[in-house]
Amino acid sequence: MRAIRRLLASRSWRKFTSNRLAMASLGVIGLYLLVALLGFLGVIHREDTQVRVLPDQTPGFLEREGFTDRATDARWYLQRTRQRVDRALDDPEAYGRLMSELALAERTVIDVPLEEMARLLEAAEARMVEVDAALDVRDEVLDEQLEIDLALQRLERRRGMDPDERVARRAELLDERATVSARLPAADEAGIAAVERVKEAIAEFQPMPSGLDGLWYGVRTFLGSDAQGRSISMKALFSVRIAFQVGFVVAVISVIIGTLLGASAGFFGGWVDYLVMYLVSVLSSIPTLVLLGVLVYMFFGHPLFDNPAEHPGLALVPVYCAMCLTFWVSTCRVIRGEVLKIKSLEYVQAATSIGFGRLYILFKHVVPNTAHLMFINLSLLFIGAIKSEVILSFLGLGVKGQPSWGVMISQAKDDISVYFFWEVVTASALMFGLVLAFNVVSDALQDAFDPKHVS
Amino acid sequence: MWAFILRRILTNVPVYFGALLLVFLALRVQDPVYQYLGQDAGPEQYEQLKRDMGLDAPLPLQFARYVGEAVTLNFQGDSWNQKGTSVGEILKRSVVPSLSITIPALFLSTLIGVFIALLAAYFRGRAPDSLLMIAAVLGMSISFLVYIIFGQFFFAAVPREAGWDVAPFAVQGYEPWIALGADAGLRPGRWVEYCMLPVMISVIVSMGYDTRFYRAVMVEETGRDYITTAVAKGATKPKIMFVHMLKNAMIPVITRVMSTLPFVVIGSILLEMYFGIPGMGREIITAIINKDFPLIQAFVAVFALIFIASVILTDVLYAIVDPRVRLS
Repeated sequence: MRAIRRLLASRSWRKFTSNRLAMASLGVIGLYLLVALLGFLGVIHREDTQVRVLPDQTPGFLEREGFTDRATDARWYLQRTRQRVDRALDDPEAYGRLMSELALAERTVIDVPLEEMARLLEAAEARMVEVDAALDVRDEVLDEQLEIDLALQRLERRRGMDPDERVARRAELLDERATVSARLPAADEAGIAAVERVKEAIAEFQPMPSGLDGLWYGVRTFLGSDAQGRSISMKALFSVRIAFQVGFVVAVISVIIGTLLGASAGFFGGWVDYLVMYLVSVLSSIPTLVLLGVLVYMFFGHPLFDNPAEHPGLALVPVYCAMCLTFWVSTCRVIRGEVLKIKSLEYVQAATSIGFGRLYILFKHVVPNTAHLMFINLSLLFIGAIKSEVILSFLGLGVKGQPSWGVMISQAKDDISVYFFWEVVTASALMFGLVLAFNVVSDALQDAFDPKHVS
Repeated sequence: MWAFILRRILTNVPVYFGALLLVFLALRVQDPVYQYLGQDAGPEQYEQLKRDMGLDAPLPLQFARYVGEAVTLNFQGDSWNQKGTSVGEILKRSVVPSLSITIPALFLSTLIGVFIALLAAYFRGRAPDSLLMIAAVLGMSISFLVYIIFGQFFFAAVPREAGWDVAPFAVQGYEPWIALGADAGLRPGRWVEYCMLPVMISVIVSMGYDTRFYRAVMVEETGRDYITTAVAKGATKPKIMFVHMLKNAMIPVITRVMSTLPFVVIGSILLEMYFGIPGMGREIITAIINKDFPLIQAFVAVFALIFIASVILTDVLYAIVDPRVRLS
């Protein structure tokens, strides 16, 4: 504690706090921490990331869907309601359960008798006829366009035609195509208006939530939904918690192990040094990702750690263990080097000559003077842990049974090919923000406390 | 000198065995046999398979077998996942695809990194320097996955799908571009198609880290006495930077390249996974996912050997440059 107080009073610390960019980044990290706390306090629960809130792959707030996509969405709402209402008509007992299945998080179905529900649904379906008519018009226009295009192609291929006639005919066809195409926007507009009317009718039996619930539903839906209709924003926000959990646990434990081993290796020398450096060499002679994979596998088979549905927290233990066993190495090297330097300083000699014990000197005088390096390494390992977690999860060796940025990216990587970017971009943008903030902070820490270091 | 080399080799032998033992023990915690059995296999089948896999022998004997293979580098055993293919064969055939990506990538990223670092050091403290360094931090903060996913999408998938005239890169896959035997020769076209995009992505990913490191090296070098001397004798700034400093800064540059050399062999795991390139990295990760022990063990043995060899080589090079190292 005194070491930290001394650190906070030092000139280097003032240099660090006067770095505006670093302070802004600390603010950003604070924001992320708040979101993570929401996750820890249960405001954003794991179940929030698993409920359906929208049709599959709905884009977020920035993207306006075209007419056909909107029509598909409206039809989706009608069909899932129709299925359940039909089943309820056969089996009135199950009505309550069937209607609760229809709920999209806060957006629940109104509580009315079955007959009333069927009537409302029929009203909505009746309005869908207009949408179908608009879709037919659209199809007609597209068919006509296609025919003209084919005629144009045939014209180009026909031989033995008078060039002037060909030019005239082509201009005629292009004109015709333009008039046909001009009908499309009007048809689409009418269609969109029809879809809006259907949506109003749907809102009669499944109203948009209002007030606080409405706000929360807005948070759930503003970034769209993934391939299973789950909220992307909830998944991404919950992942902040996972990232902090992994980053914090791994960074703290690795720094503690690294400092203890590195400091004792540097301070005691001899066989302790040999043993620690032996461990360090062994661990670094295996590629990190391979070592992480093997270690994760070693822990995963255990039933306690392999049951994310019941123990989502314990399912992360293999990841923690693998990373802690691998990451302490870098801290250990740095701390050992620093302790070797400190060991020969006067104050250590003075403490020895007064007659303090070696362990006392190590923990009272040597280790506290490496506090700045511990801080820098904490920040560096935090980034390392988050990045490795994402990569491991992407390869299927990391987080299981709950969303994390890596899981999100790996689930959504195939959506890219249909030009649906929302999930990948959300996950990577959030991750980018956090990693960038930590990078800036570690740079500033390094500048302030260890300016001679070559990174 | 020879005594020094011998000492370095001898001190590193236990490290090699340590790495082997670590992986061996980590893999013996879980029983992999069930993974390879069908749904309703009886205990006899279990015993049979266990014997076939060589897991029924006592642990010391299993480890002795492993060490025997690792020391002679002769991996005869079959892979569990790819039946009928020996581990040695898999290792051999996956080296070239890995190297055809990592070697150009290492070469290019070092070259470009040093050049940008020189530029940044030349403009130290001024706008170009800070812009370059901001770009480096931004580049470092973007996830490797993002580079891969969007790089593949925009440079390979979109041009193919949209039918552009120029669609030089394959979305996925690999075809050998070095032919041996009857029609020996190089097919650079195939290399461009299958390897160039991964190489470009790899260079861009490492750019942030490399430029920052090399710039720090250059900046440290500017404080040395010989620079002051050069300034005093009236040498121009470009001459100081590109002749005097570059030559002296080569030592840390070479050290860094040396330390990344072992990783050249394993290839870039993520790139190979995503682009479907049958290199070392992809083989090892699929082996871990499929619990293919012989392959994992062989791979770790080979990598540890290369890693230790490169460490010894670096030490020896240092000892040649700086004789004091030899005596410590």
